[in-house]
Amino acid sequence: MADETYLSDDLLRQLMSVGEVDLLVGILSHSSANTMRAAARSIENSLQQNFVRQRVAIISVDGGAVEDAASEDSVDPQTEGIAFSKGITSLRTIHRITAGFNSAPSAGLALRTILASSDLLRAKACAVVSPATSSTSPDWIANLLRPAFRDSFDFVAPMYSRHKFQGLLARNLLYPMTRALFGRRIRELYSDEWGFSNRLGAYCLTQDVWHEEPIRTRPEAWMGISAMTGPDFRCCQVFLGEKPQPPAGSGPDIVEALRQTVGSLFWCLETHQSVWLGRNGSEPVATIGPDHAVSAEPMDLDRARMFEMFQSGVKQLEPILHTILSSETHTNIQTVATLDQQTFRFGTDLWVKILYDFASAYHHSVINRDHLVQALVPLYRGKIYSFLMEHSDSSPGDMEAEGENLCLEFERQKPYLIEKWKAGVEVKS
Amino acid sequence: MALQEDSLWYKDAVIYQLHVRTFCDSNADGIGDFVGLTQRLDYLQELGTTAIWLLPFYPSPLRDDGYDIADYTTVHPSYGTLEDFKTFLSAAHNRGIRVIIEMVMNHTSDQHPWFQEARSSRDNPKRDWYVWSETDTKYQGVRIIFLDTEMSNWTWDPVSKSYYWHRFFSHQPDLNFDNPAVFEATWEVMKFWLDMGIDGFRLDAVPYLVEREGTSCENLPETHAVIKEIRKRLDATYPGKMLLAEANQWPADVRAYFGEGDEFHAAFHFPLMPRMFMAVKLEDRKPIIEILDQTPAIPENCQWCIFLRNHDELTLEMVTNVERDYMYDEYATDKTMRINLGIRRRLAPMMENDRRRIELLNGLLMSMPGTPIIYYGDEIGMGDNIYLGDRNGVRTPMQWNGGTNAGFSFADPEQLYSPLISNSVYGYQVVNVDSQKRSNHSLLSWMKALIRTRNSYRVFSRGTMEFLRPSNHRVLAYVRELGNEKILVVNNLSCSAQAVELDLQRYKGYIPIEMFGRNLFPKFGELPYLLTLGPYQFYWFRLRRI
Repeated sequence: MADETYLSDDLLRQLMSVGEVDLLVGILSHSSANTMRAAARSIENSLQQNFVRQRVAIISVDGGAVEDAASEDSVDPQTEGIAFSKGITSLRTIHRITAGFNSAPSAGLALRTILASSDLLRAKACAVVSPATSSTSPDWIANLLRPAFRDSFDFVAPMYSRHKFQGLLARNLLYPMTRALFGRRIRELYSDEWGFSNRLGAYCLTQDVWHEEPIRTRPEAWMGISAMTGPDFRCCQVFLGEKPQPPAGSGPDIVEALRQTVGSLFWCLETHQSVWLGRNGSEPVATIGPDHAVSAEPMDLDRARMFEMFQSGVKQLEPILHTILSSETHTNIQTVATLDQQTFRFGTDLWVKILYDFASAYHHSVINRDHLVQALVPLYRGKIYSFLMEHSDSSPGDMEAEGENLCLEFERQKPYLIEKWKAGVEVKS
Repeated sequence: MALQEDSLWYKDAVIYQLHVRTFCDSNADGIGDFVGLTQRLDYLQELGTTAIWLLPFYPSPLRDDGYDIADYTTVHPSYGTLEDFKTFLSAAHNRGIRVIIEMVMNHTSDQHPWFQEARSSRDNPKRDWYVWSETDTKYQGVRIIFLDTEMSNWTWDPVSKSYYWHRFFSHQPDLNFDNPAVFEATWEVMKFWLDMGIDGFRLDAVPYLVEREGTSCENLPETHAVIKEIRKRLDATYPGKMLLAEANQWPADVRAYFGEGDEFHAAFHFPLMPRMFMAVKLEDRKPIIEILDQTPAIPENCQWCIFLRNHDELTLEMVTNVERDYMYDEYATDKTMRINLGIRRRLAPMMENDRRRIELLNGLLMSMPGTPIIYYGDEIGMGDNIYLGDRNGVRTPMQWNGGTNAGFSFADPEQLYSPLISNSVYGYQVVNVDSQKRSNHSLLSWMKALIRTRNSYRVFSRGTMEFLRPSNHRVLAYVRELGNEKILVVNNLSCSAQAVELDLQRYKGYIPIEMFGRNLFPKFGELPYLLTLGPYQFYWFRLRRI
């Protein structure tokens, strides 16, 4: 372990009591005590039913809500697991550990705490979940753990059944770009829940990244990318059913979401460039369950507002976009920004070029990196507006085919990024 | 040393279970007998046992190790005579050892004269002493206990051309306790032995005495009525004698057999036994705590009897399917080790001859609430022979020394009722009483010390128990308390060293004294009490306020 000082004496005392485990479930909580308790019960029930012989512990990491939750559950101070479910099937005590911090820890510190705990407990497999968005399916947690525990996979990404207009950021940007660059077809890298092996956990724990801002805010994709780029790690994805949506307004807005996810992705491009620069094409990873599922229920989105914000953003940020984008790309985006709502289309070729220009600009630090990522927001809005217009009547099959085309476009244009990445900054007049 | 006058003697007893046939052969016929057993009573006294439970020694075709009784009021000729028994009984009493014998009420052998008469004619006066039917469809759905051998609880009798009811083997017809004559005959048998001076009965197969349509034919109120009547007569005529129930049921069901202190004096706690094994394998106290949490309180004059192994298979009837699978996978990987719903193995082989685990389990046995029962040979770590049929693999001759026939018999080895254990790990050449007597550090010497310590403190036999629940689940800790006597027991169930913090605030100021070495430990204060334990180590602390 690189550094143990962030583990409190109280946590170490709890870990000492738990000893060695087979499975560890880490809960990253930014939620209320009630949500926390419900998640803990759901997890425990799943573990009781699916891992009756295994040594299991659940660790909650947070700064306030968890303490409340823990105290509420302290009617069963022995953590024998009896209080949660009658008719239990597990043979063993299921331990609940609370890693309390004075204030809410960053996501990075929370994950690091879980990794360190997993390492100290010598867990063979670990899953990280968020109580706010975790599925309540009884097999959900078992499905995340089983591939790492039984089938020697090192990284287990979730897959969900989604409405066709849900997960737009993942579908239009994160998945196709990470797939093209890192060469592995993992759909949900930016998820609140995933599983991993002790080998991957230990590897990540020893990386000197924990004070980097992208890791502090969104460490999950970095872990998946580490699995895709690290030494002989085996990745898979497992279908978990419908993705529960967090309550409206509870998640970050689109600006913050892009800052965190795209910022993290661009940062990973830098730290793992020795790997992705040499990879061509992409390979599927083992998929447990259906490889995708899209439903077609209607969904309300304020498209006009979205288009308006695209146009105004392009106008306001013109100087910044001029600095970031290649001349050709810049010209093209200025052109499409003048189209009206009915004729407006944001082509995949242009979208891929924009993202590769942004990635390259991030690498060369042509402007403040945080500002750079924020400048992508209006362009993303334009892309999504176009996507919604194009697919208002598309079937799930059509959507999947279109998604695949986008991925292939990212792969096809990868040499463009590599060229810009390796070259100096384009000098603009 | 005479017997102490105490009507609750069974609560303080340490019982040694043996079969006369297996213990010592005095006449070189290859079969143990009462004369041989009498010669070995000093050994049992030195061990510290205060009662002997004898397996059936009655005349029998021995198709179920004597539980198929053909005559209730004498001794099987292979084991000696009634006079030999009386001599043994007297010698045991002279050493302060009480004697508990088997009373198989539920059924007889099909060779018993009662059954021979009953089947001889439908008009015979004893016909109604057994349970007959024209069809095999009565009492549908009642479980079959010996699943490996029996297809039905009914067997066709070609002599009287009807079916008879049996819960066990087909050669063991059930007696009909709806017939008052059966009850009276049974009571006469009991009186016969009580008059001779025996100290108690272990009543076999108690839940099955009475049958009723539409029920499981187990634990019926009519069965309890039979027991209550026996107890009433026993208390009136033979005070101080005890009844021990064999009721392999969940604690809540067994609880009914204590009644209001007016049925059995004691009953086996069957579900606890497999969970002790499970807890050690899982390295987790949960199975033990769970089952004891589910165990109801019993009347003041009653007692649980607890055991690790006995003459039967390690029964897995009172566990869940998940637990049973686990026990099989961990303790009976070779399917030869399995029989019925259980495991036919002895303690030491199940513990892979790991002295630490054997000691830990015996430590649990001697410190948990209840009267402990030691199965003969387990005190020296005897092995088993899973290749012998039925449960005979755990019923091999007692290993007294490394000489001829392990000191059990002077007969030719081929003549012995059972082959000796002779492999290189558990064979009598290495595992025997004489060699272990020569070492102060042998298992036998350790067992003597353990029993001596237990016998020195009545809190073990009569005290309350309260679990401490430290966060380290590999540690099972409890406080036994009786008046001012307080004992803290801390067990490490795991194969690795453990640290544990115990909340002993309510004992603040007490000084723990380790009971085997009598060393003082730091006194309890406000803070959690930190202890470290080696693999499978346990502590018994006497708590003193000075």
